Amino acid sequence: MSTAELPPAPAVAPPDERITDPSVAATTAVFVRLKLSLLRNGMRQSNGKSAAFVGSAVLAALVGALGLLGLVALRGNEYGPDTGVVLVAVIALGWAFLPLFVGVDETLDPGRLAMLPLRPAPLLVAQLASGLVGSGPLFTLLLLTGAALVAVHGVAAALTAVVAVPLVLVFCVALTRALATANARLLTSRRGRDLAVLSGLLVAFGLQGLNLALSRMANEDGSLAPTRPLADVLGWLPPASAVRAVRLADEGSAVGAVLALAATAGCLALLLLWWRRTLTALLTAPDASSLQPPPDAGPAHDRRENGLAGLLPTGRTGTVMLRVLRYAWRDPKAKMGWATSLGMAVLLPLVLTVRDGGSVYTACWAAGMLGLLMYNQFGSDYSGFWLVAQTIAAPRDAFVELRARMLVICLLGLPLMVAVVLGTAALSNDWESLPTGLGLTLTLLGALLAVGAVTSAWLPYSIPQEGAMKNVAPGQSGLAWGSILGGTLVGAVLSAPVGLLALLLHGGPTNWALVPAGLAWGTALCWGALWLAARRTAAALPEILAAVSKG
Amino acid sequence: MTENTETGIPPIPGASTPEGERPPAVRVRGLWKTFGEHAAVSGIDLDLPAGRFVGLVGPNGAGKTTTLSMVTGLLRPDSGTVEVVGRDVWRDPVDVKARIGVLPEGLRLFERLSGRELLTYMGRMRALDPVELESRTEQLLDVLDLSGAQHKLVVDYSTGMRKKIGLAAALLHNPEVLFLDEPFEGVDPVSAQAIRGVLERYTDSGATVVFSSHVMELVESLCDWVAVLAAGRIRAHGPTAEVRGEAGSLHHAFLELVGARGNPDGARLDWLGGAR
Repeated sequence: MSTAELPPAPAVAPPDERITDPSVAATTAVFVRLKLSLLRNGMRQSNGKSAAFVGSAVLAALVGALGLLGLVALRGNEYGPDTGVVLVAVIALGWAFLPLFVGVDETLDPGRLAMLPLRPAPLLVAQLASGLVGSGPLFTLLLLTGAALVAVHGVAAALTAVVAVPLVLVFCVALTRALATANARLLTSRRGRDLAVLSGLLVAFGLQGLNLALSRMANEDGSLAPTRPLADVLGWLPPASAVRAVRLADEGSAVGAVLALAATAGCLALLLLWWRRTLTALLTAPDASSLQPPPDAGPAHDRRENGLAGLLPTGRTGTVMLRVLRYAWRDPKAKMGWATSLGMAVLLPLVLTVRDGGSVYTACWAAGMLGLLMYNQFGSDYSGFWLVAQTIAAPRDAFVELRARMLVICLLGLPLMVAVVLGTAALSNDWESLPTGLGLTLTLLGALLAVGAVTSAWLPYSIPQEGAMKNVAPGQSGLAWGSILGGTLVGAVLSAPVGLLALLLHGGPTNWALVPAGLAWGTALCWGALWLAARRTAAALPEILAAVSKG
Repeated sequence: MTENTETGIPPIPGASTPEGERPPAVRVRGLWKTFGEHAAVSGIDLDLPAGRFVGLVGPNGAGKTTTLSMVTGLLRPDSGTVEVVGRDVWRDPVDVKARIGVLPEGLRLFERLSGRELLTYMGRMRALDPVELESRTEQLLDVLDLSGAQHKLVVDYSTGMRKKIGLAAALLHNPEVLFLDEPFEGVDPVSAQAIRGVLERYTDSGATVVFSSHVMELVESLCDWVAVLAAGRIRAHGPTAEVRGEAGSLHHAFLELVGARGNPDGARLDWLGGAR
């Protein structure tokens, strides 16, 4: 497609003479035209796609313009310049990480360029120039202009802004392209695809962080005051320091302004140097696929296994636990599940306690998040479940298999949950409720693990291996959500006896009886569920295999 | 080789024993499987002899994978019985699962384990003695030329390496009958030769290999017994020479059996290559 539209290559000397490199200007022109062709082709796709493409470009321009206007309106606001600094830092962060999610444009892919007679320096300039073309840079330029204008009240500041805005824009483009070059091998490898799946995690935790930040901001009655401490820190870091320079110039501190600008410019120079080195390495070093793998990376591996794995029980229990633990680390989907559950088990109670004063009972969220891990156990085996099915000949095998998987959750989750209960008790300074909190979370975890085991056997579903956000195969989402929501309800009902006991014992030292009671009831529920689930699993192996193989 | 370490069953007599004295390795009666309206397998009756290299051949969509999945307990038949070494697959899974090895097509392995870890995992799941497991793992990796890649994750293996590590996992517990679904599909000649060598050595000891393929030349050179499957039914079965019959090769016999008509409508393409 686009390569067909490549303008003719610059004239090349006849082969018998010394081959001259295309000049920087020629290469840059080729790349900018290539980028423009790519943009034009974006509009030439199917109607729906081109509409989406044009729509997003118009939206970027509109939102950028609105942002510019909004920032200009902040002129005179005490915290306006701080907001500008924070905004620039956020924009730079976006340029650094967004390409990981949305991919990079084709003028960047060194794999497509390796065969062309290009030197790194002209290539670098050309890629930088083509990076400045597009709706993203336009959007950024509008916002950067706004962020600088907020602080401009005089000629000195205006002059500084004229230098600062293009500097930051080039910095952002260089940053994203340098990172993409450094990660080029990664982004096209299996490891890169694994990371892309894990990126969902960044989004999930980022949203929690944003939630926390916004709720903190809201406390200040909508004023922009919270940006001040942030700006005080970020203003020292490139590229936000360039925008800070505008403000310093406005305040009459010429030396400060020059230093702040120099910080960003110096950082840009280092960035370009690093980019050039990685580009050279990428264009000249052999690809991993053409290298022979080291014959044996080995025995160290085995020794480590013997060290930690030696602590696991022997027999099927230990074998299954070791495999589940390895998958929790190596399989991106499993890793995301574990990290989300363990992370949220800490974050949710923390956020709730910090924000609303909270209580020990917010730790029940931790039990809930850990309980989720037990759902759809066989789905996480993908169609590899047939290997498990081959070794399950009787309900006893299925019992041990499921119990081992449950033990892994307890191994990692129980200490964490106890820590969360202690933490919420400390944060809300409510040590009296500690035994009740411990007893209830233990019960709830037991109940949810039990329900998870039963639904794993009765309602298995497939997990697609690709795609960060897809955790259910098409057509099975009703099954997945139903089992999780229904399971949570059933789990709550199953926990009711200990809940009632807690009400009866409320207050008084007898509260401590809730801890063993919760532990005993939770364990009993798990055992009963394992017994039921094992019989079903052993009897329905082909059906489970069919259900988990759709991904 | 055929002595089963878990059950202590005495070795099956050598392959030289006259066929009549050994019960069939696999006995299938009235096997049916339909998916929606489509009958993938419609009433198969088949006895596969023990101690042979048995080929299950048929065109794409003939029902080979469905049949093998039902025989190995991975797919529940709508009706019919399957016996492997005299035990009912669906009523007596304990006995059967220890005696068969399976390499299915289209199902994943635990690919986030390294090749060696996968074999260790399967061996422990099958309760093999640790010392014995270690030595078998070592030998299988060596013979199948996987020693160099033993610490690489299976997800990074090539197709041939995956087939080989799958074969190693299927052989690890020294099964009496080995079921392989398209073991040579997408495998380079070097890996194919390694797989072939292991399988020949395995059948020489009196064990049974059942494998499916649609590459007739391969089946003809490897198998001493074939069953031809088309549209969910058995069209012919018996010693390879018998099935080949008058036809020059198994390939021709197969085309006749499955009713491939060559190109009877070729006349309708008479413009092709004609005046332009």
